[in-house]
Amino acid sequence: MKPSFCIRELLLLLVMGVLAGSCHKHDFLDKPPSTDLVVPSTLNDFQNLLDNDQIMGLVPALGEISADNYYLAYEFWQSLGARVHNAYIWTPDIFGGEGNVEDWNFPYQQVYYANVVLDGMDNIKTSSSTMADWNSVKGQALFTRAFAFYNIAQVFAPVYDETTAAADTGILLRLHQDVSSRSIISTVKQTYNQITGDLRTASGLLPSMVSMTYVNRASRPAAQALLARVYLSMRKYDSARLYADSVLLSNSSLLDYNSLKLTVPTPVGKQNVEILYQASFVNYVDKQILMGYSYPDCFIDTTLIHSYDTNDLRLPIYYYSIGVDSFNLKGSYAGSVIPFGGLALDEVYLTRAECKVRAGFITEGLQDLNDLLSKRWKTGTFTPYAAASQAQALDTVLLERRKELAFRGLRWTDIRRLNKEGANIIPSRSLNGTVYTLAPNSYLYTLPIPPDVQQLSGIKRERH
Amino acid sequence: MSVLKLAGPILLIACLLQKLPAYSQPSRLITLTEVNVTLEKALQDIHQKTGYTYFGESDWTQSGHLVSFSVRKGTLRQVLDSCFRGQPFSYEIIDSAIAIHPRPQKEMLVHGWVYTEKREPMAGVTVLVRGESGAAAITKENGEFIIRTHYADDRLLFSSVNYEPQELKAEEGRDVVVMLKEKVGELSDVVVVHNGYQDKNRKGSTGASDVVGTELFDRRVAFNILDHIDGITNSVLFNKNIVAGTNQSAITIRGRSTIFANPNPLIVVDQFPYNGDISNINPEDIESVTILKDAAAAAIWGAFSGNGVLVITTKKGRLNQAPKLSFTTSQTIGEKPDLYYQPVLSSADYIDIEQFFYRKGGYAIPLAGFSHNALAPAIEIFDQTTKGLLSPADSATKINALKGIDDRKELSKYFYQGSLNSQYALNISGGGPRNQYFLSSGYDENKNNLVRNLYKRITLYGNNSYLLLPGKLELTTGLGFSTSKTYLNNAGANIGYPYAHLADANGNPLPINFGLKNSYIDTAGSGQLLDWHYIPLNELKNADNTIRLIDYRINISLRYIIRKGLEMTGYYQFGHGDSTGNNYQSLQTYNTRNLINLYTQNNNGLYTFPIPKGGILDEQRNAYTANNVRVQLNYSDSLFHRGLLNVIGGAEFRDLAGEDRRIRLYGYEKGTSGSIAVDYVTQWTEYAFNVKSRIPYFDLNVDQAERYLSYYANADYTYQGRYILSASGRWDESNLFGVKANQRGVPLWSVGGGWILSKENFYRMKWLPFLKIRVTDGYNGNVDRSTSAFTTAYINPSGNSYGAGSATIVNPANPSLRWERINTFDAGLDFSTRSNRLGGSIDYYIKSGQDLIGFSPLDPTVGLTIFKANTANMVDHGIDINLHTNLDLGLVKWNSVLLFSYVRDRVTEYKESIGPVVTYLNSGLISPFVGRPLYSVYALHWEGLDPQTGDPRGLLNKTISKDYASIVNSPNLSDLVYMGPASPPVFGGWRNSIYWKKWGLSWNIVYKMGYVFRRNSIFYLQVYSGASPGHIDYKRRWQNPGDEKATDVPSLVFSPDKYRDNFYQNSTVLIEKGDHIRLQDVQFSYDIDRSVYSRLPISRIRLYLYANNLGILWRANHAGIDPDNVSGIPNPKTLSMGVKMDF
Repeated sequence: MKPSFCIRELLLLLVMGVLAGSCHKHDFLDKPPSTDLVVPSTLNDFQNLLDNDQIMGLVPALGEISADNYYLAYEFWQSLGARVHNAYIWTPDIFGGEGNVEDWNFPYQQVYYANVVLDGMDNIKTSSSTMADWNSVKGQALFTRAFAFYNIAQVFAPVYDETTAAADTGILLRLHQDVSSRSIISTVKQTYNQITGDLRTASGLLPSMVSMTYVNRASRPAAQALLARVYLSMRKYDSARLYADSVLLSNSSLLDYNSLKLTVPTPVGKQNVEILYQASFVNYVDKQILMGYSYPDCFIDTTLIHSYDTNDLRLPIYYYSIGVDSFNLKGSYAGSVIPFGGLALDEVYLTRAECKVRAGFITEGLQDLNDLLSKRWKTGTFTPYAAASQAQALDTVLLERRKELAFRGLRWTDIRRLNKEGANIIPSRSLNGTVYTLAPNSYLYTLPIPPDVQQLSGIKRERH
Repeated sequence: MSVLKLAGPILLIACLLQKLPAYSQPSRLITLTEVNVTLEKALQDIHQKTGYTYFGESDWTQSGHLVSFSVRKGTLRQVLDSCFRGQPFSYEIIDSAIAIHPRPQKEMLVHGWVYTEKREPMAGVTVLVRGESGAAAITKENGEFIIRTHYADDRLLFSSVNYEPQELKAEEGRDVVVMLKEKVGELSDVVVVHNGYQDKNRKGSTGASDVVGTELFDRRVAFNILDHIDGITNSVLFNKNIVAGTNQSAITIRGRSTIFANPNPLIVVDQFPYNGDISNINPEDIESVTILKDAAAAAIWGAFSGNGVLVITTKKGRLNQAPKLSFTTSQTIGEKPDLYYQPVLSSADYIDIEQFFYRKGGYAIPLAGFSHNALAPAIEIFDQTTKGLLSPADSATKINALKGIDDRKELSKYFYQGSLNSQYALNISGGGPRNQYFLSSGYDENKNNLVRNLYKRITLYGNNSYLLLPGKLELTTGLGFSTSKTYLNNAGANIGYPYAHLADANGNPLPINFGLKNSYIDTAGSGQLLDWHYIPLNELKNADNTIRLIDYRINISLRYIIRKGLEMTGYYQFGHGDSTGNNYQSLQTYNTRNLINLYTQNNNGLYTFPIPKGGILDEQRNAYTANNVRVQLNYSDSLFHRGLLNVIGGAEFRDLAGEDRRIRLYGYEKGTSGSIAVDYVTQWTEYAFNVKSRIPYFDLNVDQAERYLSYYANADYTYQGRYILSASGRWDESNLFGVKANQRGVPLWSVGGGWILSKENFYRMKWLPFLKIRVTDGYNGNVDRSTSAFTTAYINPSGNSYGAGSATIVNPANPSLRWERINTFDAGLDFSTRSNRLGGSIDYYIKSGQDLIGFSPLDPTVGLTIFKANTANMVDHGIDINLHTNLDLGLVKWNSVLLFSYVRDRVTEYKESIGPVVTYLNSGLISPFVGRPLYSVYALHWEGLDPQTGDPRGLLNKTISKDYASIVNSPNLSDLVYMGPASPPVFGGWRNSIYWKKWGLSWNIVYKMGYVFRRNSIFYLQVYSGASPGHIDYKRRWQNPGDEKATDVPSLVFSPDKYRDNFYQNSTVLIEKGDHIRLQDVQFSYDIDRSVYSRLPISRIRLYLYANNLGILWRANHAGIDPDNVSGIPNPKTLSMGVKMDF
């Protein structure tokens, strides 16, 4: 028999096969396990992270829940989970030991995503054809981080006060993605410097036009509108006016409410000419009470309802009536029952109006207001405002600000800021005969750091 | 006829794989006794009996010897052999004549090889020529022999100590190849453990394993392999109440030792892990199932073996065996499911609750006209009555009519049926001197309990081994093919209230209140919309949802014996499976009509249809392609004196590619090829809801790759047949995502020792002639492929709500990611008494899962709240006991097997303390709690009902409280009451078989003990929302002060507080013990062979009856709940009738 030669050859082949396999084993084992998993490293990956609207387009709701635009039926209030229940009456320890606070976690998750993008941007080679995209992605990440920091500061940090900001404790600023590094607390001044600095850089990088399709992506007008909002909250009215001006110079369209259908649940769409940046309130695992008709026992503040004229279209567009003086929230600029928490041009008009009036340009300020309101009232019914004094003009502008921007996440910040100006706004709740009030400039305007964060980071903050 | 359809393919395969040798089959049987008669006289008698004439050269009548013999029911050949034994003549049968020839004295040289069953060459085998020449030879080292004989003496007898002797006919010029079978020992059966790499004799190995042989495997009737081993082996638990999302496995071997990684045992078919659905393999092709339990037995599978290994061995032919044809069929009929098993509310009670909620204003908002969502008919009637549209008298009449309807009657009539499962299998096996083959085909058809659901499967399987060079080279090929079609046309009826009529008295289908209000449907769209009614029976009729599956695997292996004791094997397996689901939803189906209507745009009376008016086709395809290559060296030799060493070592590659595709076609009509593009980007206004949304987009295209590279070695050393040492090592590497090259692998090892005490000289216990002690320790592994060392993002397949892509970060960078390791220590004892009358084994083991993937909490400020890493540990303690008795009482034989398994797992380290308590109560979450079993049942303290209101009461900060939200959300985990494990720590069975003559009776009793479950009750808000049909506990609810002494069912209230129900649902009063004993099945069989009926045209027929799911004999709970079916419907009883014929 001769075939043993063949067998040796076969053996050799098998052995060679094993060896060959070993030589290429790193190629063999380098194959990614799934095509739907990526290690984010390209501009497209980063844009996808920033475009995750389930995470990126959310703003805290606790401020609005603590504010005075609504009231709850007693029995409904009793059924609420600890956080909303306590926030409604400004209990000092509003979390009652419960962690997982969406109002904290979501903005910090946005910060993490933005940091993943920002940490990775330098590794991306750019060419002249990709430079615009590179700038846009970096600008969006900076904007996102600044917006998140700002939103956290409105709930968890004291209001900005030029005289004490350098000493007041602000928020935890995280500027890199490494999850093993500890969080370090900043001062209020550092907090706002970071926010405004990031935003100024972002506005230099972002595209100058707002996309009508991708309204979830930041643009230069959005960054400027946010700067106006931030400076307003810092009571730096001149800077606020400057940025509001810049926005309105490039984009001043207003939505005529006469063109909207009044009878439908959500008359305003999420993509309309006024929107600069789309975002909405976080949705709680437990009850998010400020959610349209889902919670009929959440009523609009009667004084606020009464302040709308019968010819004012905002009444039927923002609210619906379920009985005498009983109004529930309708959908909003977010195009759904969840309230809008992003940036829109009407806010910029009102910001500029207020800043102008504060600077003494009363007529110009009221002109901005009248331009806006003429699109809010039934056609031909609106009588433009004129004011005798600066104080009267300011009151008018501030009242209209509250009416226009109700349930947009701005009221809480406005109360904090205006009380610093001496407005003496005292929110109060009446529940089953008990009346709760919140004194101006109380420490309760700054919520405690959530218990799980305190436990895991070791960071505590004195409140008094 | 289905079998005939298969005849073609099976013949084709037969031709491809094998030339079948032809054997003649004499059929007439003769009884003849002759005493000292001449050969001629004997042939005359044979002529009389058979009609065969005889002729030959003239001198044969003179020179023959006298003959004496007695043959009872023998073949002609047997009779003639007796006549011609020792005669100088031989005979030949030519047509119907017997030709007599002088016996040629020509010599021949027979050459051949002798092997063991494991194909190892056998030296020292005696080869003896039967007959006068009496020549003998002994085989050489390589099993070879040459023997000189002559034509007349062509029967060779092969014998060796400890082996069954074998006789064979020799032919000149053809190698004789013989395989000798090891003798079955007196004391304990030789059980061969197939671990996928090598075969071991269980007596001589150290590992803990179980083997389910053919007979036991065939005892149950089921189309799925796994169902055949349910309840018949130790330590294998079939989990019945699996909760989605909790990573539970349908089968666990020796408990649980992972949290988030793969929980399933490895299933090996034909030497390699099987990647398809195991139900693709026909149980009729299975020879045995080996269960590898401890480290020594399973460690050879390294990183895949952490959950135990099931090795499935397919049937093979045998060398030198006439073709054996066998045919089996069984028909299994099953009862209709019992829809009345769940004690739900009667329609009258249900409507009473609806009325109560209605009066409390519970439906005010849905009724206010703002929403168009449908409401149950009774609520509409109440509303119309309130509005004055219906008189109170008419209202009462209508309501009473509704109260009289029980939809289960019609559901049972139209949606359910008795099941009928039919199995047919035909196989042929055999072998020539150089080859052996097994070929089979099977057809299964299962008519489901749900009307219009059906499963059909065709399987083909064949393997063939060919000795290319006897003693040197052997080639084995195999092909397994399976195709099936599943019809999923009945998803059950979707009705939100229990008083719906599905059809009128004439059987015409009726619409139910579903989706949108009838008043809205009737007026909306001014005739431009499609009918918006939901008619359950039409949905059933129009459903067209099928899954087609094709699965095949091709095996090729080469075995080369380098020299005695050293051989090399190479294996290659290619496997491919492709399953395509087609769900065609024609324009008649509700889903299609609803979507078209929903996206209909009305621009001032101008109607447009963004979704075209046509059918919708959803196609889903899942496929895998597996390539496996293995090269292995086997070495066995005697070392020192009386020691035997067995070593194997090798390397293997595994490349598994998966595909996942999903596509939807709109405007598709069946039978045509066209579909219509839709605009997925625009936000359309939804008709009836006035919110904006996009047309649903489902398309998906994901590819997966799993790659492994492994090196392994295993050595056993047996000294003096009584001391056994074993060791194994394995290195596995995988394409784990982003792991640095030097961290991809994991080294795993095991060591073991065995001591057969009964072979020692000092051993005195004569009543226990076999006693063996085993101890093993080692590591198995497990992989969690979802984690990564890099920051990894998942691409959301449907993008974001603006039509752009979207990605979610699934884990942050984790440079220290590694494989999970499971250490198993096992100490065991095997024993048997004389004649194996009583025998068994006892094992004690500790399994500890180390470096398990678990979640750790992170400061949410870093952007993630949890972090997945190797931070958890678990420990399992267990005992496996197997006792069997074999009693032979003459005519009656009685075998009994008692199985007992105990396994208790405990999480020993887990970093994340999840809170609040509700996370531990939600059964859909994995909530590991240090010190407790992974799957545990927790509950809330129960402090009775409030005597004033009937509200349930619990404990908050150690005081009685009704602040349900705070109780349920308490962050204080000491508020949880641990009730017990959710899966049984104690389980087993007691199986008895009695044989009397050819009759057999076998029954199996199984038990599960020591666990608890949460039962259902009345949760009012679920009834309110139409999510539940309620529970008859409602009848026992608190109604008046004082009731709290007799009942634990809370009073009926309408409260928007979901936590009241939630608290009651999770309280200790609803926890029941799961312990139960079940009569699983009974088998009754009757064998017919020629000893029973001499004129049987085939060699054997077995007839059997098999009854399954017979019922519970004892249960600890008093609520009549089957703990294996807490929320569903118990498996209906089935009865099978089967025939197995061997030709």
